[in-house]
Amino acid sequence: MKKKAVLMFTILFVFAMALSGCNSSSSSSGSSKNEILFWNPFTGPDGENMKQIVDEYNKTNPEFKVKNLSIAEGDMYTKIPTVVNSGKGIPDLTIVHAERIKQFVDNDMLTPYDDLLADYPEIKAENYVPAGWNIGDIDGSRYSVPLDVHSFVMYYNKELLEKYAPNALDDNVITFDEIREAGERSKKDGITGFGLTWTRPIFLSIYNQLGGDITSDGETPTLNTPEAKEALELIKGLVDDKIANKDGEDPGQLFQSGKAIFYPEGIWMQNGLNEAKNLNWGLTNFPQISPDNIVNWTSSHQFVMFKDENRSEEKTKGMMDFLDYVRQHSLPWAKAGQNPAALETLEDSEYKEMPQSFLVEDPELQKSLKIFDYKYNGFVVEEIDKLVGDAAFGKLDIDEGLEKAQKAIEDKIATNKK
Amino acid sequence: MMINTGENKEVNMSSVMVGKSNKKRLNLSPYLYIGPHLILFAVFFLFPTLYGVYISFTNWDLIGDPEFVGLANYTEILLNQDSTFYEQLRIGLGNTFKFVIFTVPFCIIVPLFLAAGLNTKPKGMKFFQALFYMPSLFSVSAVMIIFAMLFSVSFGPINHYLNVDTNWLSTQPYAWVTLVIVTVWWTIGANMIIYQAALNGISKDLYEAASIDGANNVQKFFKITLPSIRAQILYTVVITTIAQFNVYGQPLMLTKGGPTSSTTVLLMYIQENAFGSGISIAGIGAAMAVILGICIMVVSAIQFFFLRQRD
Repeated sequence: MKKKAVLMFTILFVFAMALSGCNSSSSSSGSSKNEILFWNPFTGPDGENMKQIVDEYNKTNPEFKVKNLSIAEGDMYTKIPTVVNSGKGIPDLTIVHAERIKQFVDNDMLTPYDDLLADYPEIKAENYVPAGWNIGDIDGSRYSVPLDVHSFVMYYNKELLEKYAPNALDDNVITFDEIREAGERSKKDGITGFGLTWTRPIFLSIYNQLGGDITSDGETPTLNTPEAKEALELIKGLVDDKIANKDGEDPGQLFQSGKAIFYPEGIWMQNGLNEAKNLNWGLTNFPQISPDNIVNWTSSHQFVMFKDENRSEEKTKGMMDFLDYVRQHSLPWAKAGQNPAALETLEDSEYKEMPQSFLVEDPELQKSLKIFDYKYNGFVVEEIDKLVGDAAFGKLDIDEGLEKAQKAIEDKIATNKK
Repeated sequence: MMINTGENKEVNMSSVMVGKSNKKRLNLSPYLYIGPHLILFAVFFLFPTLYGVYISFTNWDLIGDPEFVGLANYTEILLNQDSTFYEQLRIGLGNTFKFVIFTVPFCIIVPLFLAAGLNTKPKGMKFFQALFYMPSLFSVSAVMIIFAMLFSVSFGPINHYLNVDTNWLSTQPYAWVTLVIVTVWWTIGANMIIYQAALNGISKDLYEAASIDGANNVQKFFKITLPSIRAQILYTVVITTIAQFNVYGQPLMLTKGGPTSSTTVLLMYIQENAFGSGISIAGIGAAMAVILGICIMVVSAIQFFFLRQRD
């Protein structure tokens, strides 16, 4: 019996050692000498496109090969503070969302690119979409280089548009008034006018069109404002007048089965829509209140370098080589439905034919790309997510909801500052 | 022959000697048996729990060093009535208790009846046993995606066959009804297996004797079956209650906490504060988690007390 117990324990012990052995070998690859450890949150189909870029780069036989590691977004953002604090297994290059960067800079977690850019003159403002490039410039230092600018725009069913709003696209902008008109006509035939999809960018786009923003000075949150109320009332009006889909209806299913005219969604959703049979869709700006002030909610994936004392200068150069390569070879990323931030992609005719490229091709529309950059962005969007759906479907008093949301954001900021 | 017996004696003697010396020396084998579990328990349970309690006394964003603030987090969530976190704890804990009260009775009664039914050894018993146990093997996300489709307003088969257009997921009281149905369906298996084993252990003599005395089936169930498996019922009530207190996946994926935070359970607020999309407020999250842990302990203790008392 005793021997058995000893044996069992030994087996378990060896097993545990073997497991921890695996673990340390994988984490030590973070500081592996000839490899750039590259973390990104692309666990969906877009991960394949990123892998393609990395594979093609590695085929050019660079001194430092890139090791691509896609981690689910939530896990990645939880892991980052842990590895940066412990100093072990820190990724060399990491893709993070634009809204997160200020928070990392505040905590002194990022290495700036400033001194490195002298050797890479082409990584400069003129070669990138301004909305994406400007995010990385914080207090005169450059902390990130953009990969893309991904916007929340609007899909429309071409046949239904022809039937219910043939003139809406004459000026390339569909206004909410035009959506209302079309919806009034189509609802008699059981066709939904407007799909109330992801409430966060829908609300933020309208809020910004009305002149609102989530912060007044980069510090104070501004959500409980007359403009926010107006934006919520506009959305609620679409629901009340049955222009938008009913509560609980899935707008994606409605649109894909040809039962909705307008479907606001991200440009990254187009490959999914292509799978729907008999659906002839077009892509245009997010709906606007007035065609004179166009706003398209946008976010951006950005390359950052988390601080790592053990990273050699040579390796950092290898990383810059990779960034410069991505700048010139972003086409696979465009095929994922995204708009690469590097303007060089525009020289590719294949890209110009992609539906989403209209946002970048026209310098005027480049200005419409609005990134809600605020260091407490996370607190704000959490509240917006809770607020907008309930307000739109009449389950929540708008004034009370805005007041509560504003207070929640302020309380969270206050606790954080303590 | 001689040599053989000699050898035998030697063997016998040595085994006696080992036996004696074992009694005197510290016996390591029990520790070797519990050792692996003890280490895993310490690494994955004891240490994180103690660390969580420590974090609840600090202000920490997961990035810098935790700053000790004493009871500030607790006074904020328990006493400061103006605070958002006080509201979160009140709403979250209230909804968690509601969820426990709604689901636990069904999670006990439904598997008990199914087990009693299977205990009569109907045709295809093994098939039904496997069928009822199967949901327990699915991951929470798979189950919730299936049920979100089943309960969908315009495309769901449930509304289609009932010929209604009930909004199951985002109006009350349907949101609670849906959550209870899903949870009971998902968790039938574990309790059912325990009851089946317990029912198998009841002596048939008792039922025969009762039949001779003229007891009907209902009387037999309440006078013989239930008292015989009281220990197992106690165990499942406590375990199920603890499990349901830790509810997270069902409301997160099905109702998203809505409508108007009426199904937002405490773990969702804890997650939002500690690992949300904003900067982490781990101290407040940890304090809420400690409060939840205390609630679970108190409720379990009360259950033990009442169910034991009847012995």
